Amino acid sequence: MILAPNVLDLDLPETVSRITRFIKGYFENSGANGLVLGLSGGVDSGVIAALSSLSIGGNRVLGLLLPESETYSSKDINDAKLIAEKFGLKTQVCEITPTLESFYTTIPVFDPEDRLCKGNIKARTRMIYIYYYANKLSRIVCGSSDKSEAMMGYFTKWGDAAADISPIMDLYKTQVRKVAAYLGFPPELAEKPATPALWPNQLAETELGIKYETLDLILYGLEHFMSAEEIVSQLNIEASLVEKVKSRWLSAEHKRRLPLTVKLEYRTIGADFRLPREGY
Amino acid sequence: MTRIKLALAQIEARRENKKENLRKIQEFTNKAQNQGANLIIFPELSLTGYVMRDQVYEMAETLPGPSSRIIQDLAKETGLHIIFGMPELSEKAKATIFNTAVLVGPKGLIGKYRKMYLPTHSVFEEKRYFRPGNQVASFGTSLGNIGLCICYDLFFPEVCRLTRLKGAQLIVAISASPAVRRSYFEILTVARALENTAFLAYVNLAGIEEGLQFWGGSRVAGPNGDLIAKARYDVEDLVICDIDFSDMKTAEASIPTLKDLRPEIFAELKREAEQF
Repeated sequence: MILAPNVLDLDLPETVSRITRFIKGYFENSGANGLVLGLSGGVDSGVIAALSSLSIGGNRVLGLLLPESETYSSKDINDAKLIAEKFGLKTQVCEITPTLESFYTTIPVFDPEDRLCKGNIKARTRMIYIYYYANKLSRIVCGSSDKSEAMMGYFTKWGDAAADISPIMDLYKTQVRKVAAYLGFPPELAEKPATPALWPNQLAETELGIKYETLDLILYGLEHFMSAEEIVSQLNIEASLVEKVKSRWLSAEHKRRLPLTVKLEYRTIGADFRLPREGY
Repeated sequence: MTRIKLALAQIEARRENKKENLRKIQEFTNKAQNQGANLIIFPELSLTGYVMRDQVYEMAETLPGPSSRIIQDLAKETGLHIIFGMPELSEKAKATIFNTAVLVGPKGLIGKYRKMYLPTHSVFEEKRYFRPGNQVASFGTSLGNIGLCICYDLFFPEVCRLTRLKGAQLIVAISASPAVRRSYFEILTVARALENTAFLAYVNLAGIEEGLQFWGGSRVAGPNGDLIAKARYDVEDLVICDIDFSDMKTAEASIPTLKDLRPEIFAELKREAEQF
């Protein structure tokens, strides 16, 4: 296999068709009233909003805008609203700063300098709002994690990746950008730098220490059972970079699975209790 | 008969809902009857849906069993031959199950084929639940000689070759193939027909189970590799087509693969496969 950018090419109409059929099928089988999703103003959630609306109609899709004071960005709000308007979904703004403040002031060991722990509170708080709306309105939560983030474990456990379905989790970030362009997103939004918005000026590529164009090719190679040596050789990059990505991918498996338990009984949840995910 | 009418019943099976699937089998069979079909073919595990996981132990039935008897009655009532797929519980055990294709006719159960090659890789976990079959199946019927195989068997040309050598004129492959594998099956179905100068009817599931999107695309390939009929991708469809077994003579004369068989290499093939 030649690890060149074209391995990440997509049959875009086919890809969009498959994802929208998936969302529609799951939604119809669920008996839910609609979908709820977090709408951050980034490309992933924008694509999910668009695909959800195309699948079941925008009037059954609610995008929640969940700004907070430290990471507030009027550009993000405007981008989120632009997508909502373009694809006809409803939106609701919930300012989460007061909720966050209550965590900061009531957790006895809260450390304002520990931005990761603090940022994770933000991601989990957003999750709580999204699930509240889903419960209240009898809707499904549609997640917007992509494959690059999921493989790297670049998400908050029980936070931003929490969802009932994650329709773009088999697309790498650079592929999501292609889908966005195909769906008619403005180029600056399709190529907008990704951020989890856990602290001010946080940028995914800076934090990960790698450009998505390179990361996605490394992950693609790992997905296809290529050795680290082969990937290094083909991409002509530092071995330490590939090793770092590989190590991070493997060590994050705990974030992608149910909690581990000890095998004690006949069939064990998360191990050999193997049931279809969707009820009948 | 040299000329028969086939119906490819590309259904979405309702997972773990035999009652609904039996209703759909009846509905499609009645439609096919109205269009003059002689044989209607349903996909792999069409009685239960494909992704059952541990629920397969609740879904499996012996053969004959309650569901197959309903389909036998349907065959008798409509005069059609019917092929469908089901998880078959061994009569001699309590939790030993086969992934089986069943052929019934107006006079009752004609035969069955237990899938020999059980995919257990990628998203597939069939060996976890099913025992593999150990023999190919070709049955003489009033319609002609019909052979059966299932999905991943098509990757192993020896299955269709042996089925053909046992006399099958029409090889029926029932399937539950997800969309990412479409291109493989589009090649394999034509190749298996052409290399055996036989008709091959491939009937795939449609619909989505557990994120697996079955691509439909059911088809009939003729003995010269021509596509005689093709169902729509992804969605339910019922396609009716005629096949004429006399066409096999024309194909076999110009593509004489059976005449040119070299049995002497099979022993070496066996030896190498055993040592591979």
